[in-house]
Amino acid sequence: MYYVADVKESECAKYNCKQCVLFCPEPNTLMYNSEKHVAWVNYSRCKGCAVCVYVCSDLLKRNCIEMVMMTTGD
Amino acid sequence: MGLEYVKISPGFEKYMPKDYVDLVKYGQFGRQIDVQQIDQIKELVEEHPMCAGCYMAYFVRIFYASLPKPEDTIVLGTAGCARLALSQAAVPFIYGNYGDTNAVASGLKRALNIRFPDKVKDVVVMAGDGGLMDIGFGMTMHSWFRRENFTTIMVDNEVYGNTGGQESGMSPKGVQLKMAPKGKKFDKINAVELAKIAGCVYVAKLAPTNPKRIAKTIKRAILAAREIGPTFIHIYTSCNIEYSIPTERVLADAKEREKNDFGFYEWMTDEAKQYIEEQEKKMAETKA
Repeated sequence: MYYVADVKESECAKYNCKQCVLFCPEPNTLMYNSEKHVAWVNYSRCKGCAVCVYVCSDLLKRNCIEMVMMTTGD
Repeated sequence: MGLEYVKISPGFEKYMPKDYVDLVKYGQFGRQIDVQQIDQIKELVEEHPMCAGCYMAYFVRIFYASLPKPEDTIVLGTAGCARLALSQAAVPFIYGNYGDTNAVASGLKRALNIRFPDKVKDVVVMAGDGGLMDIGFGMTMHSWFRRENFTTIMVDNEVYGNTGGQESGMSPKGVQLKMAPKGKKFDKINAVELAKIAGCVYVAKLAPTNPKRIAKTIKRAILAAREIGPTFIHIYTSCNIEYSIPTERVLADAKEREKNDFGFYEWMTDEAKQYIEEQEKKMAETKA
């Protein structure tokens, strides 16, 4: 079981913003799809620190990222 | 290294690891990127064993994205947390004994000047508060007295993070740590003023709350170190383990410290200012 960040695509697509990508401490983990205008998480690299949740929910009040439990292979 | 060493010889692409092929195809080598474009590139730093939510790891990530010439840069580190990520990047990394980073960097920079007189080679030291202001204090100061042309970056987590939480010269006065239960009795060392007096030509102090500002500061420090003299950046990178900061609050903590005692501060000599302005103009022109 891993605790990782997950982006709610439908919510995230409303905004053209990539602040979470700019504040994630891990390289190449929170990525941004510039065609769909959504951020996405490389689950195998995410360490579950939830800094992105702080940026998205507390700073920007957009609530597009949540933390989820995941089992290997999901 | 150099740009020609980074590139894959024709016909060998299929034998190289995918991460490396991505790095050459979509990476930073041979081009200038804006830190805001960090989502569109393959970053120089790879997966590393630093703690979840570590803002030193975040600073290292932004640091590599802001290098003006990653293919011609050499990074030096010492024992401490930062080397865990620094050693996982596609930029040559030298790991000295504890505290000798600035002495090694002095020799390295001089040797590079002799070996590559017509090329620009950047040498950057990134070590913690223990490596630069406690154990490596003498070598750090003397490299500045000698006006050696390289950049020193102090990632200040205010504690000896991976040996159990002993107080360092940079821990704030009164703070209680796991291996300093009575509280620290002395003031935090004023590294910025020391650097100014010791002969640095560009000195900056900041907290990692604004990636654009971090990138600009790092670029300026590296540019000024090419021609003018030693440069120094003091950055607050909290230790969320030893200071018991919940991982999702590390950015909030950095913002708070920025308001209190880590407000953005930048100082440079007139000569450095003139040189930086010229170089920044040149860079803007080549980009446009």
